Amino acid sequence: MAPRSVSATGSRFDDGVARLQAVLVDAMLVGAALLMVEFLALAFSGRRGPTGLLLSAEQILDLLHYAWAVAGGLLIAVTWGLFSSRLGASPGRAWFIGVPEWEAGLEWSRTLRGWFAAVFVELTFFTGWLITELDLVTFLTKFGKAADIVRGLAHPSGAVLHEGLVLLVQTVFLAFMATAFAIPVAFVLAFPSARNLTRGTLAAGVAYTVSRTLMNFVRAVEPLVWALIFISWVGIGPFAGVLALWVHSVAALTKLYSEQIESIDTGPMEAIAATGASPLQVLRYGVVPQVIPPFLSFTIYRWDINVRMSTIIGFVGGGGIGYILKPRVDLGEWGEVGTLVLLIAATVWLMDVLSAKIRERIV
Amino acid sequence: MSGAAAIRVEGLGMVYPNGVRALEGVSLEVHAGEFLAVLGLSGSGKSTLLRCINRLIDPTEGRVFIHGEEITAARGARLRAMRRQVAMIFQQFNLVRRHSVLDNVLSGALGRSPLLPSLLLSFPAAERERAMTCLERVGLADRSTSRADALSGGQQQRVAIARALMQAPRLILADEPVASLDPALRHSVMRHVEALNRDEGMTVVCSLHDIDLVTRYATRMVALRDGRLVWEGPPGAFDHATFKSIYGEEAQPASNTGF
Ligand SMILES: Nc1ncnc2c1ncn2[C@@H]1O[C@H](COP(=O)(O)OP(=O)(O)OP(=O)(O)O)[C@@H](O)[C@H]1O
Ligand SMILES: [Mg+2]
Repeated sequence: MAPRSVSATGSRFDDGVARLQAVLVDAMLVGAALLMVEFLALAFSGRRGPTGLLLSAEQILDLLHYAWAVAGGLLIAVTWGLFSSRLGASPGRAWFIGVPEWEAGLEWSRTLRGWFAAVFVELTFFTGWLITELDLVTFLTKFGKAADIVRGLAHPSGAVLHEGLVLLVQTVFLAFMATAFAIPVAFVLAFPSARNLTRGTLAAGVAYTVSRTLMNFVRAVEPLVWALIFISWVGIGPFAGVLALWVHSVAALTKLYSEQIESIDTGPMEAIAATGASPLQVLRYGVVPQVIPPFLSFTIYRWDINVRMSTIIGFVGGGGIGYILKPRVDLGEWGEVGTLVLLIAATVWLMDVLSAKIRERIV
Repeated sequence: MSGAAAIRVEGLGMVYPNGVRALEGVSLEVHAGEFLAVLGLSGSGKSTLLRCINRLIDPTEGRVFIHGEEITAARGARLRAMRRQVAMIFQQFNLVRRHSVLDNVLSGALGRSPLLPSLLLSFPAAERERAMTCLERVGLADRSTSRADALSGGQQQRVAIARALMQAPRLILADEPVASLDPALRHSVMRHVEALNRDEGMTVVCSLHDIDLVTRYATRMVALRDGRLVWEGPPGAFDHATFKSIYGEEAQPASNTGF
């Protein structure tokens, strides 16, 4: 017998929200398309800047009529929305509301939405080409200087080998310490960051939102930026690198751990709760045993990533092998750069193989 | 609270957050020492009813009393103390798979164990001995150091029964305890549930699919249909007409149900 549903569906309020979302998304898409058309028009108009040269991508971006694009985007979006029964659904409408019956199941090339999407992708590609200043000719004809580097890589110099090996050891330990300190913090934070454990009470809900938001923010900031912050805090050196990778690893591991917690079998949790166990006991018996093997696997993977990152964290002063790599790149001592790059590659490769093998064993 | 029913359910209703109504106006009493079977089609609300009784889920309407005390009003430590009186056995066994068989049985004692040692999986010697006795009762003492997931389904369910026994409850809730087992093994597990009822004097509420098992083990039965209680009586009074009223007009008893 089918269960009766008592939930109300499709309230007027929800309809209104969906319509608004659809129009806003359409306005954004159409507005972006208008801007790209204007960009391409300016780029190919032959207009010259104050220096007499053709306009650069940045100068064109400065010249675009953003307010007009917003207005035009809104106007077209609303118009398309109003006549969607005849024109077919706009992208936003198709996503948030649905397509008219006659349009459902049509090939993309028979719908306005499909053509719009196709043109949009083309526009993005050509605009992207110009904005990033792609230049095939230069790419194919100016190889000479880079050849020096390649030659250097092929003829590594022994002068820097000893120093490189020493710093390589530091690099691996830097990654190890960052990972080791990240484990306990991430382990504790993972529980309040798991949705399935934080439903019910208000306090748990707040803990979830706070820790998730914080971790998302921390993760969004690149380790190199964290390194700059910690260098001004504790000074140049491996300690700053450890702190930078630690912060980033805490956030990354918290996310991985908590997602693992969210996917556990809740049966054992229920069984433990049913014995009259306290919440901590439920976590210890119902959750922890299930998540330990995947946690180990994620942690080793994270150490692997940290070794990679610690090789470049030295570029900004965070210790490790990157620290002596940067000045040699600047001075153009390609033989020594070659030695260091080969050392890094070997280490990363070794870590990669090792971590894959260990993780294979655990899971 | 002598004289109070072991379980009293009053006007129980449950609407899940997604809007599905699983129970409506269920009232019933379970007397101390009874073996009550709960029947009903898949989706009729059997699991929901059992989970409302020990508050693994919170009913949206009605009240539940355990030995005269309202569990639906209990919270925190009081709720946990009441849960200790009610052990639960699950269709999927729900053992801690990576723990040893003995540690799984010991987890039945969590409600009365000091917090810190228990978090380190450490229990007093007396509890460990008791756990071994419980394992002997289900015939698995020799497997105490095996990992739980190394056992067969029937053995795992017997470990779950030992865990329930370890808890020393006055009530057992069993949610289709043999539904995921090979038919040939069902009696070997049901007999242990029966022993809890007969030898330990524990009151048992057990949802079952198989009419054969109901008539063999239960002292009384109730039936749910679409979340409502539609039948109540001794298993002997269960006949063809009752079958139709529970399972619907189109349903046919399977050939092995004895009709
Ligand atoms: N967590 C849940 N969220 C939403 N709906 C649920 C949930 N659990 C059960 N239901 C629904 O409630 C109704 C009753 O489910 P319940 O599991 O209690 O039935 P049952 O009699 O135990 O069935 P079965 O014999 O299949 O175990 C069903 O319609 C089911 O889909
Ligand atoms: Mg069920």
